[in-house]
Amino acid sequence: MQYQNLIMKKRKFPLIEVGFKFVLLSLFGTLYVMAIPYPTKSREFPQLIAAFGLLIVMISLARDFIQKKTMVKELGDVEDAELTAFDEENRKIRRKRFYQAWAILLVSTFIGFLFGFLFTTFFLFFGFSILFGKRKNFLKNTMISLAISLMIFFIFQWLMDIPLMQGIIKIKFLR
Amino acid sequence: MDVILQSIGLVFQWQNLLALIAGTGFGIIIGVLPGLGPTAGMAIILPLVYKWDPVTALIFMGSLYKCSNYGGSITAILVNTPGDATNAATILDGYPMCEKGKGGVALGISATAAAFGGLIGMVCLVFGTPLLAKFALRFGPAEYFLTALLALSIIASVIQGNTLKGLTSAAFGLMLSTVGFDMITGHLRFTFGWLAIEDGIPFVQALVGLFAVTQALVLAERGESISRIGKLVGGFWEGVITYFTHPYAVIRAALIGLFIGVLPAVGQTSAGLLAWAEAKRESRHPETFGRGEPEGVIASETSTSACMPGDLVCTIALGIPGSLGAAVFLGIMIIFGVIPGPLVFNEKADIIYSLFIALILTCFILFFVGMTIAGHLAVITLLPNEIIVPAVLIISLLGSFAIRNQMADVIISLAFGVLGYVMLKGGYTPVPLLLGLVLGEMVEQNYHRALVISGGSYSIFLSSTVAKVLMLLTILSLIGPYLGKAWRKLKEGEKNVQSIE
Repeated sequence: MQYQNLIMKKRKFPLIEVGFKFVLLSLFGTLYVMAIPYPTKSREFPQLIAAFGLLIVMISLARDFIQKKTMVKELGDVEDAELTAFDEENRKIRRKRFYQAWAILLVSTFIGFLFGFLFTTFFLFFGFSILFGKRKNFLKNTMISLAISLMIFFIFQWLMDIPLMQGIIKIKFLR
Repeated sequence: MDVILQSIGLVFQWQNLLALIAGTGFGIIIGVLPGLGPTAGMAIILPLVYKWDPVTALIFMGSLYKCSNYGGSITAILVNTPGDATNAATILDGYPMCEKGKGGVALGISATAAAFGGLIGMVCLVFGTPLLAKFALRFGPAEYFLTALLALSIIASVIQGNTLKGLTSAAFGLMLSTVGFDMITGHLRFTFGWLAIEDGIPFVQALVGLFAVTQALVLAERGESISRIGKLVGGFWEGVITYFTHPYAVIRAALIGLFIGVLPAVGQTSAGLLAWAEAKRESRHPETFGRGEPEGVIASETSTSACMPGDLVCTIALGIPGSLGAAVFLGIMIIFGVIPGPLVFNEKADIIYSLFIALILTCFILFFVGMTIAGHLAVITLLPNEIIVPAVLIISLLGSFAIRNQMADVIISLAFGVLGYVMLKGGYTPVPLLLGLVLGEMVEQNYHRALVISGGSYSIFLSSTVAKVLMLLTILSLIGPYLGKAWRKLKEGEKNVQSIE
């Protein structure tokens, strides 16, 4: 049990966290520089916040690296191979599901951008039921997705007059 | 008195009553669905009510916020899965009661606690908030600036649990609030030529992204649905009787809930667990706790129900949110033009009192729902994620789109969804960011106003006693967690030395 805790601890120097801090560091830096040509009253507050943000992120990063050094000293004998084997299968499945979800989101948003938001609703439901649901229910899932899209069309386009069919194609070419 | 009568009249208008019932129903359903708490619930539905009348919208949102906690207790008792962390303490005795065939009694207790505990909390909210607001009338721009800083620092250090991360998140939120037209000079800042953000980062779209989209992605990643529902046997009224035969436990739990609620940023999860632990400590038979002891359910449910109105005391009177949900509710109030703070009882008294009356009515509706259909609601948890996830995404993104009829808003929501997900994986909570985004404009304006009054001197931020106290509290809230840690280490060290000796 204690050994497993050590493995978890070693894993807790997460790349996402450190990467996010570096992104924030560059973002605060860029915004600070971008504000320089603004009028004094417009730049004062953002620069103050950006400087504060930079300071906090730098302290936070410094702390991370100091802690990592201590952790490596403490846990040097825990082999990386064991770390990678730990729960790897579960992580793979989760990662796959995550990428699938994002693929559905991006594709349906892009289609909505081209043809209108109504198509986003159809492809969201359809995509999730196909990739996350049971394949044998393909026809049933398609019918449900269509029915939901029609219901949304009726409520929002027909009753509330929200332009769900207005994509970039209609705006640019069909007018 | 006139305002109160006017507010009663407002609440009993058909559209507001409908909003109250709909908010209660939606809140319970959101609460029942594990993983979707009040914050995600409010984020999902906010864009759809965006164009409503402020009274109707706030009644809807307020009842949703209040009832989602109750919804979570149903699944905690019947399915052994809390809807939200708030109901974590209810599981400890609620599910064992269900396993013993006393699920109905446990549901009866939770319904009574939601009604009675909520009413006790509402008394505190109705009488405490105006008093606190009256005191805050002495505030000038410097004090407003410092109050916002205090709110941000408390949320950053307490809710996040890691001061540096919380502060980073809050600073990022404040930074994002400066995007768009500068209210003072009219200069355009950080828009990169994108028209959609010229009026600033839209709050609703950001909220949808940070909570609804992120939550949907987490659910998609998890890819599971709950498949086991405990056996439900009647006994709802037995639960009501059991509740009232423990008056001491009820009052103690309600007081704990109120106290925790009024404390900024501590939250309902702590209230439930603390009340449960206290009930166990005080009990003559503590060994029965955790094995289906009704007093455990009474304590946790009463405390969380009383905590929510307590949360709103500081949120409405000072603009300092008491919890995650309260922080989001604060943002929603601002969207509908109700700026929390001491002046709210002069400028928007009818809306605030309407909200209070609606929340009192909600307690009775909750009792009715709890006694009639609560047992059947747990079936919702059987819905597979391939239905829940796209439903959450469609409702929230559709709302996001419908505000300005622009796909750009959907893109903004998705961008904030990515941000929320990365923050979650990186161990950050997006609440300080959201609060920074909401309060940013107010902070900047009061910062400049205070400096104009003082002729550019920063001493104005320490000129009055209130300002000094606010500054001290801000510093304490930031260094408090570190001091606490150091104190615990010192104590542990002393203990070790004693044991060696």
